[in-house]
Amino acid sequence: MMKQLTINETRCKGCNLCTMVCPYKIYQIGTTPNRRGIYVPVLHESGRCTNCRLQELYGRELCGGCALICPDQAISWIPVPQYKKSNIIIEY
Amino acid sequence: MKAQVKEDWFRQDRLPHIFCVGCGNGTVINCVVDAVYDLELDIDKTVFISGIGCSSRAPGYMATDSLHTTHGRALAFATGVKLGRPEFDVIVFTGDGDLAAIGGNHFIHACRRNIDLTVVCMNNQIYGMTGGQGSPCTPIGKLSTTTPYGANETPFDLCELAVAAGANYVARWTSYHAKELRNAVIKGIETPGLSFIEVACQCPTSFGNKNKLRQPIDHVNFFRKNAIFLQKAKKMEEERKEIPAEAVIVGEYARRSRPVIGGRI
Repeated sequence: MMKQLTINETRCKGCNLCTMVCPYKIYQIGTTPNRRGIYVPVLHESGRCTNCRLQELYGRELCGGCALICPDQAISWIPVPQYKKSNIIIEY
Repeated sequence: MKAQVKEDWFRQDRLPHIFCVGCGNGTVINCVVDAVYDLELDIDKTVFISGIGCSSRAPGYMATDSLHTTHGRALAFATGVKLGRPEFDVIVFTGDGDLAAIGGNHFIHACRRNIDLTVVCMNNQIYGMTGGQGSPCTPIGKLSTTTPYGANETPFDLCELAVAAGANYVARWTSYHAKELRNAVIKGIETPGLSFIEVACQCPTSFGNKNKLRQPIDHVNFFRKNAIFLQKAKKMEEERKEIPAEAVIVGEYARRSRPVIGGRI
């Protein structure tokens, strides 16, 4: 199973600590308020996350700095089905 | 009951918690939960105990048994729990006002007796919950509600106090050093005897607001820039170099094996 990075919008309070700590700058400061008036950070190309890419290969949790520093326990990884090779189209 | 996922340690009906935006206490809770999840502790055989204050709201969000006790007396209650049920893992959450000001005597005597507890002190350098009064850990020159011209008392160094009183494991980290903090909590739980982990954490509402660290990121960046490792600080002392006044000295202060009360039989 692949893992995908998610932000729980009901828990996030918009402190933007994750934007500071991520080495790949995946988290970008949000620009539009959500239903509760909170500027939740936006994920920019979340596939670059070390934990998403290499967790399966190493068999343990890697990096995880954002999930540890998030004061609101909002960041987690959810399992997503592995994409099939037949679905990837390579353009020449 | 063993936890299947990390979320099992939290009470889902109580989250999201009431801490302010960017409060460091949430980071500390995360690190402690990650540590106990990595150690695969039993949820039914772990007890979280706290006193009064912002930091002491933390056990209310845990799925384990917890005690929310009177101001400063968390260590006294924890001693009772540990001596009554030595097979339990007892973790105490306190703040600097709770542990150093009102519960100071309980703290040094718990260190002296070396009871098998893990004490996590979230030092936000202020009394956060009651409106930002100066605490015994407010650094010199910092503003608070009761020190409007800058604090002029020397603050407590809680780690040195715990080392002198005889705790078995003493470490200090900041809320920026989340991974190191998690490893320190793991070591603290594994070490028999009192393990004391002090965490310098940010309080944007009461402390940062008055001291030009208004955003949570500013305060965490302050810790990142001003943290000095203990070994480096000792070396600087030997070379007669001056350690900056606002430096936070982080690292492992003590790890030893003095006789223990209340350890597992």
